[in-house]
Order: sequence, then structure tokens, then C-alpha cells
Amino acid sequence: MNAVTTVIIGAGQAGLAMSRELSHRGVDHLILDRGAVANAWRTERWDSLSLLTPNWANGLPGAPYRGPDPHGYMAVSDLVAQLDAYARRIGAPVQSHTAVLRATRTDAGFRVETNREPIQCTTLVLATGACARPNVPAVSAAVPASVFQTTPSAYRRPDDLPDGGVLVVGASASGVQLAREIHASGRPVTLAVGWHTRLPRTYRGRDVEWWLDAIGALDEQFDAIDDLERARRTPSPQLIGGAEPVDLNALQDLGIEVVGRLSAVRDGQALFSGGLANACASADLKMNRLLDAIDAWVAERGLGDTLPPPDRPAPTRLPDAPSLSRSLSDGGIRSIVWATGYRPDFSWLDMPVFDARGRLRHHGGVVAAPGLYALGLTFLRRRRSHQISGVGADARELAAHLFRRLGTRRAA
Amino acid sequence: MTMQTEPSTVNNGVNVAALLEAREALQATPEAGQFTWRASCAWVDGVHSRSTVEGFFGLGEEQARKAPHIIEADHPEQFAAADMGPTPAEVGLAALASCLTAGVAAVAQNRGIQLKSVKATVEGDMDLAGVLGVDAEVRNGFSAIRVSFAVDADATPEEIAGLVAQSQKRSAMFDMVTNPTNVRVTVA
Repeated sequence: MNAVTTVIIGAGQAGLAMSRELSHRGVDHLILDRGAVANAWRTERWDSLSLLTPNWANGLPGAPYRGPDPHGYMAVSDLVAQLDAYARRIGAPVQSHTAVLRATRTDAGFRVETNREPIQCTTLVLATGACARPNVPAVSAAVPASVFQTTPSAYRRPDDLPDGGVLVVGASASGVQLAREIHASGRPVTLAVGWHTRLPRTYRGRDVEWWLDAIGALDEQFDAIDDLERARRTPSPQLIGGAEPVDLNALQDLGIEVVGRLSAVRDGQALFSGGLANACASADLKMNRLLDAIDAWVAERGLGDTLPPPDRPAPTRLPDAPSLSRSLSDGGIRSIVWATGYRPDFSWLDMPVFDARGRLRHHGGVVAAPGLYALGLTFLRRRRSHQISGVGADARELAAHLFRRLGTRRAA
Repeated sequence: MTMQTEPSTVNNGVNVAALLEAREALQATPEAGQFTWRASCAWVDGVHSRSTVEGFFGLGEEQARKAPHIIEADHPEQFAAADMGPTPAEVGLAALASCLTAGVAAVAQNRGIQLKSVKATVEGDMDLAGVLGVDAEVRNGFSAIRVSFAVDADATPEEIAGLVAQSQKRSAMFDMVTNPTNVRVTVA
């Protein structure tokens, strides 16, 4: 059996950032990936996807963005190229095409079983990310077999869907983007909208990500906020990597019909919640609270005259009586896209480190089993943890913890 | 001599600390959060009925109240009835309004907002062609429900809108009215 001090599972931005930190500290390690570097970005994203964050925010630790378009939004293929180059540059020891089948605790640390030789290690870093699996609600089982069902992880382009109407379930970043491009392909889209996060792409002449960065919202720490569970559940914002608005007003202007949260499928009918108005009112209120905070930040610094005036998005418009049901068996809806979020996949982690709801128990990435760490999860240590710009600081802090632990073990 | 005054504290009569403690406790022991609410309803005469609400199951065991609560339901004289109580549909509207109003108070307490008055007005539209079986295309229940809140509080209009939004988000009745529920009726 092979032995190494640290195994990192996942060669995406998080795994590579950790590799760099460990190399700096002289910790010998191996990165395992079921595919190649940036596997999920290569194989589980749709063709048109660009990052939601502008390029200046998409640098990697020690490798800030130096390209020609700092205010653009890079296509996923460009991100893949950037990660490939980064892996080479930092000399990341990636063992590709190695799928982890099971990881268990041993006296000396961990045993990682793969489709190749098993590996023994002292410390183990989970860097497979927050979006390993699409969430598909249980009601999907009641959808008639004649309706094609897919998820944003499997969907590539509109023409993968049958002709005819499409129900997109979920109005976070994935849902609003896919609703827009599928509708543009000539397939009429109905968008089921539950709790969502509305953000304008720009405000007062700057990208909203610039504002979030400036006012410090992205650097809020996991151990300093009131309700971490709620913060971790916050839906991704209704943004696209580009200038086009994708909020519900813009989508309705294109002809997309918005309905409430999909609450049940019964007798071949999709039933939607009558609470759509409140989901939208809540999102508008929350967005305006953030924009208030931005205005307050501007005012405190006396910068008001140097910036365009506040340009608040119009309140979300809704029909007087949004549809409460839609037949799934009359041919009107031919496919459903479940844009209902993602979750991590640690099904191969055979250790008692999960809570009653199956979520990994960790404190800022320090998992409940000594020597085990997680990276790249939503609000792991700071609000930006799941962003490209968030992995650097998280990797640095966790690598320091990991290194101290190795020292303690050696001294013992 | 000037009186030393206490710093003002918000008191809407809601023990939010207890509610937050309960939320904390439920995360540790989710089974304690499994409740079953009940009512029994006895026919009185005509379309007049009397519901009694007393015990419920929760916190892992059978719970009792100080005394039973009685809710009368009947129909107005325009329906050739004795008007001994509101119609069941109106009881439903009142349940929605009272659930949202309680929510506004609880959220206000949690957010440190002192309420002075809260009044919810609720309306439900109904086409009787449904319940009377005149038109199979018309549903029995409300085709639309509107709730209007008048809230006087030490807060901005946006904060008050936030209270009302959050109260809907956490309301059992709002959820029941806006989402389908499987209902099974049997004969003992």
C-alpha cells in the first residue's frame, strides 16, 4: 500500500490551493481526482456558463488575474485552462483518474480505497466541493414518465431537451440562467420560484461583487455571524456572468411565466405554492437592505459625489393571479429542469462525522475526526468560501491547522 | 430630582428567548419537535357545529391545556341558518390572520421592534357556484385571499414590511393555505 502524509481528494481550485499551501510547508501529499484537474468544471457544467464573479475576483492564491479583461466574466473553459496552468505552475502532485471508493480511519490516520491501489495517509483533505451532486426533490418521482427530467449538472444546451414547454424548477443562479437560454431556444419556459436571492449585476456603476468585496460582506467569518446554518442555506444570487439582467422582471419581459414554488405533483399535475408574492417581496426587501448598506458605506466615506446616484431595481412585478397548477400529462410541458440546488457528496466517507441530517460536521473546515479537513464548502470559514476568491484564505488557515497537528503527532 | 429611567427594552409580550431555546433544543432532539394537533367537532343542529380543542401531542408526550377551547361554526341567516357562529371558511380566514399576526409579534420581538398596534384584515373571494355544485369548473374554496396589515411600531416602513414578510415565511397557516396537503378522511 502507498503511504503519503496528506491526501487531498479533488483537484479543483480548493484542492490545488491546499496543495500549494502544503508544498510551502514541506508536507508531502497527493491529490486524487476521479477525472483530471477541474473535473467538475469540465464535465458537469453547461456550455454557456461563465463565472458569476468578474475576472479580477477569479485569481488563485499567488496567481492573481493578469489577463486583458479584468471586468469580464470568464467562460468555464477559460477557468479550466487557468486551473490546468496553475496545477503545472505549482507542481501539484495530481493522480488523475483515481476515484475514491471509501475512506476509513486507521490507527495511523486514514485509509483511502480507490479504483487503483489503496493509500494510507496521516491527514485527509476533502476538496470535492459544495456542488458534487444536484439536489432533486422527492416529488420528481411522481412526474409522469413522458416528461424528460434533467439537472444543471447533466444539461449542456437547450437542444438536449425535447421540443415543447419546459418547467424550470428553482430561481437561483442556475435556474434563471437556464430558463433564459432555454426560452430563447423557442421552448416556452415556466419558472417555479421559491425562496431566492435577488441582486443587481451592477449598482451605482460598479459590479455588485465589487461592492460585496468593498463593504466586507464576503469576509464575514463563520464564527462571527448569528445564524450560520441559515447563511449556508442562502440561495445563490439571480446573476449571470454577463451584463444581461436575469431577475424575474427581465425573465417575464422575455415571456417566461413565473409561478410559485413547486409544492407537489399530484394526478399528473404540478401544483405551485400560492406564496410567490411573499417569496418575491422577501427577496426585494433583502436586496434593498444590502443596497442600503452599500449606500451607507458610500455616505460614511463621503464618496456620494464621485459615484452615480443609487439606481435601485424596480420591485418584482407579478401577475395578479400566478398559475397554481400545470398539467404534466397534456403535452404542454415536455421536460423539467431541476435547478433546485446542489450538495456535497461524501457518501464514500465511512466515518461517524455526519449529523442527523447527513451533513458533514465540521468547525470551519476542521472535521469532527482528527486530521480530517474540508474545503470549498458554502460559508466554510467566510462568506466567500465557495467562490474562487475564497479558497486561498481557507486553504491557508486549514493548512496551518493541519501542519500544527502533524507536529503534535510527531512530538507525541 | 430627576428619576433614573431604565433603558427602554422592547416588550411585545412574546418570550422569544424561550422560542429560540426551543429551536436550539430541537436541533439536538428533533423527535421532540414532532407534534400532532387535534380538534374534535360535534354536530349541533342544522349546519351549526361545535369544535373542541384541548389536548395535543408534542415534546414526546401527550399534553393538556388548562381548559378546552370551544369554536362554534354555523352559517348566516342569508343561508337559512341560525348564525350561531362564523362559517368554517371564515374560521379559516381568521386562523390565517391570527397566525400571521402572532408571527409579526414574535418576529418584532426577536428584531427588537416595539409594536404599538397590529391589525390584519383578511378577505377571501368565493364563487358559490363551486360549493353549491352549479359549475364543476369552479373550485369550492377561495379563489383568492388578501391580507392587509396595519402596523404601528417604532420602525421604518421597510422594517415593518420585513416583519410581515418573515411572518409569512414562518407561518403554519400560510403554508397550509398556499400549498397542498394530503388529507385523508375515514369513518370509524
